Amino acid sequence: MKAYILKKLLALPLILIGVSMLIFVAIRALPGDPARMMAGPEATQEAVDNMRTRLGLDRSIAEQYGQFAYGAVRGDLGTSIKSKLPVVDEIAERMPFTLGLAITAYLLAIAIGVPAGMIGAIYRHGWPDQAVMLLAIAGASIANFWLALMAMNTFSVSLGWLPLLGATSWKSFILPAITLAVLPMAVIARMTRSSMIEVLARDYIRTARAKGVAPGSIYWSHALRNALIPIVTIVGLNFGSLIGGAVVTESVFNWPGIGRLLVDSVRYRDYPIIQGVTLVAVTGVVVMNFLAEMAIAALNPKIRFD
Amino acid sequence: MDIIRKKFISARHFALGCAVTGALFVPLSAFASTLTVMQTEAPRSMDPGDQTATFTAAVLDPMYEGLLARAKDLTLQPALATEWSSDDAGIVWTFKLRQGVKFHDGTPFDADAVVKNFTRHLDTKRGLAASGRLRTFIDSVSAVDPSTVQFKLKKPYPAFLALLTTGPCLMVSPVADAAGTIGSKAVGTGPYRLQEYKSGEYVLETKNTDWWGGAAKGADEIKWTWTAEPSVMNMALQTGDADIVNPLPAAFAKQLEANPDMKVNKSDGSAVFWVSLNTKLKPLDDLRVRQALNYATDRAGLVKAIMQGNATPANSPLAPVTPGYDKTLAPYTYDIDKAKKLLADAGYPDGFSMTTIVQEPEARIGELLQAMWAKAGVKLDVQRMESGVWSKAAFADPAGKATANTGSVIASWSSGVNGADLQFRPLYHSASASPASANLGFFNDPKLDELIDKAASTLDEKARDAIYVDAQKEVNEQAPHVLLYTTQDLYAARNSVKGTWVVPGGLVVVKEATKG
Repeated sequence: MKAYILKKLLALPLILIGVSMLIFVAIRALPGDPARMMAGPEATQEAVDNMRTRLGLDRSIAEQYGQFAYGAVRGDLGTSIKSKLPVVDEIAERMPFTLGLAITAYLLAIAIGVPAGMIGAIYRHGWPDQAVMLLAIAGASIANFWLALMAMNTFSVSLGWLPLLGATSWKSFILPAITLAVLPMAVIARMTRSSMIEVLARDYIRTARAKGVAPGSIYWSHALRNALIPIVTIVGLNFGSLIGGAVVTESVFNWPGIGRLLVDSVRYRDYPIIQGVTLVAVTGVVVMNFLAEMAIAALNPKIRFD
Repeated sequence: MDIIRKKFISARHFALGCAVTGALFVPLSAFASTLTVMQTEAPRSMDPGDQTATFTAAVLDPMYEGLLARAKDLTLQPALATEWSSDDAGIVWTFKLRQGVKFHDGTPFDADAVVKNFTRHLDTKRGLAASGRLRTFIDSVSAVDPSTVQFKLKKPYPAFLALLTTGPCLMVSPVADAAGTIGSKAVGTGPYRLQEYKSGEYVLETKNTDWWGGAAKGADEIKWTWTAEPSVMNMALQTGDADIVNPLPAAFAKQLEANPDMKVNKSDGSAVFWVSLNTKLKPLDDLRVRQALNYATDRAGLVKAIMQGNATPANSPLAPVTPGYDKTLAPYTYDIDKAKKLLADAGYPDGFSMTTIVQEPEARIGELLQAMWAKAGVKLDVQRMESGVWSKAAFADPAGKATANTGSVIASWSSGVNGADLQFRPLYHSASASPASANLGFFNDPKLDELIDKAASTLDEKARDAIYVDAQKEVNEQAPHVLLYTTQDLYAARNSVKGTWVVPGGLVVVKEATKG
C-alpha cells in the first residue's frame, strides 16, 4: 500500500509540470492579443507594441515559461495584466468562495444522489425508479445557465425569498449550490442505481435475505458498501466538471470565486490570471483523482496490486 | 453502527463547509446610503490614462478630475483649471490652476503634478493605453510657476479643450503613479475617493471630505458592480441589488417602462454602427458594389429589429450629437432595384459572395444583413467571433485580411462630443489603415484625407463645420462603410434615484445622484 501511494504521489509533480506547459502554450495559441485588448480599439500600432513590451509578451514563449515556472515554484504566479494585483492574492481571496460553493454543492449532490439511486435500484422498474431516472435525465441534460436564470427569477425576483447576487449571507449559497449540484447529483444517482442493481443480484445478498437480515441492513451495509467503488470513482472524477460548472454558475450569480475571475480574465486575455486559475483548478482535479484512487484502494484491497 | 457513523461524518462535513464559508462574510456598513450601479463590464484599470473604455470611465468619473469638466448641458466648465487662454495661432495654451487642491493621498495638486501627468503619456516607453491620442498633437507641457501650466501643441487642435475632460487628461496623483499602484488603487482629486476595489466583485467609492468644491452632493457611497448577462441586469434592478443599470439592453426597455418603480432614460448617443468594407478585396474595391450594399440595407428595419426603435438610422458617418453633424444629408434609401442595377453595372448581375466578421453580441446585425442583401443577390457569410478573436481579425493588415478572405467587419465607433476629428481620422484617414488604427477597410481617398487634415487645424468653428459637411458627403458618396445607425444611450434607474445624467456615448454620471 505504501509503495502504491508513493508511486502515485511521485507522479503528481510530473503531471503538474506537463499540464502547466500545456496551459501556457495553449492560451498563447488562442487567437487574440492581450496587448491589443488592453490598449483598446483606438490604440495605434505603436501603442500596442509598447504595451506588448510592457507586458513582457515580446519575449519568446520558452523565456516566458521559464520566468513563469521559476516564479511558480516560489509561490509567485505573476501579476494580473488588468488589475495589476499579484495573481496569488487574486486567487487566494476567491478560493474560499469557490471551495465553499463546490463543497456545499457536492455534499448536496451526494446526500440526495446516493439515496435516490438506491431507491431506483430497490424499486427497479417501479414508479419510484422511473421518477428518479426521469429527474436524473432531466438534471443531466438541463443547461446550468438556464436553470440558474430560472431559479433567480422565481426565488429572488418573484418570491423575494433568496438573495439574487453575490455572497452576502448564508442564504446566498442556496441558489448557486443547488444549480451547481444538479449535474453531479444526476450522475451520482444513475451510477448508484446501476451499481446497486448489480450488487443486489449477487449471491451473498440472496444469502443474507434468506437468513432473514432486515432489508435496511441489507441495503445500507451489505449492498451499498460494495456498490461504493464505482460511486467513489465517479465522485472523484467528476470534480473537474464541477469546476467547469462553477465557471458558469459563478458568472451568472456574480459569485466572487475563481470561476468568475477566469471568465473576466479570458475576455481580456489576462494570461497570468488564466494560467494561475487553470493551474490551481488542475491541481485540485489531480489531487481529487488521487484521493479517489486512495479511497478505492482502501475499499477494495485487490486494486492495490494491479 | 456503520450507517450511523457515515451519516454523522457527512453531517459534520456539511457543517464544517458552512462554517468555513460563513466566516467570510464581512458585514457591510449598514447606515450609509449606498448607490449601486451595475454595468456590463468590469473596469479595466483604476488609472484613467490606462484605459479607453466608456464604462470604466464612468466608474472613475467620481474620483478624478481634469483641468476642465463637461457639465450636464455638455458645455466645458472650469475644474482644476480656473482660467485659460491661447495665442492667436492656437499653439501655445496657458492654464491657471485652482489653488489649494490636494489629491486623495495628500499630494498637492500643482503645476508640477500637471506636467508629470502629461509627460507620462508623451513618454513612449510607458505604453499607457490612452496615450496615443495626445501624442498626435501635444508637443510639450511645462510649468511656468507653481500655479500656471503651459502647453505647446504641434499644430492647432480644435478638440484640445474637450479632450482635457477625458481619460488620459484626468489628473492622477504623481506619487501614486511613481509608486506603480495607480492601476489598482485610484488616487485623484474628485468628490469621491476609492474605498475598496475588489477586482472580481465591486468598486466602492466614498465621499472625499476634503474636496475643494465643498461637500459632495451625492450618496454617501457609490458601489459599482457588473455582469455580462443582460437578464441579470434586469433582475438586479427589480430586486434592488442595483439602483441604476447601464447600459440597459434595449430588449428590456419596454418591460421596465411599464413598471412604475423604474424609469428608463433615453438620450442621444454617439455610438455609430457600421459595416466596414474591405476596399482592397474584389469586388468591394468597386465603388458601385459598395453603393449597392448601401442601397440593399434597410436601416429602419435594423433599428426596429435590433434596437427596438432606440436608435437613429445613419445618414452620416457622424452621430447627431457630434459637432459638425449635418442632418440634411440624404441617406441611402432602401432600394433593392437600384442595388441590383449597380451590381449589374459593376459586372455582377447575379450577385456575389462575401464574408463579414462580427462579435457575438452583435451577431444579429450580421444575420439581418444576410437576409437583406440576399434580396440583391449578395450571399453574406456571417462569421461570429468571441471578442478577442474578433479584435485580432478585425485589425489585421491587408495581407492578413486577403488570406482570411475578410470582406467586411461589423463594428461601432463612439467619439462622444469631443469633435468630429475623433470619428473621421481613425476610421477614414488613409494613415489610419489597420493595423495602425481603425480604418479597417483600408479606405484610401486623398480628397478625404485633405478635408480631415484641413478641418483638424481650422480653429474657426463655422469654417470647420463647413469642411466637415464636405467630408460627410465624401464618405457617403465613396461608401467605405455601410453606415447602419446611431444608438441612443439607454439606462434604467429605480424611481427613487435623482440627479443622474449621461454624457453621449454612455458614460453615466452619478457623482451628484441621490437615493430618496
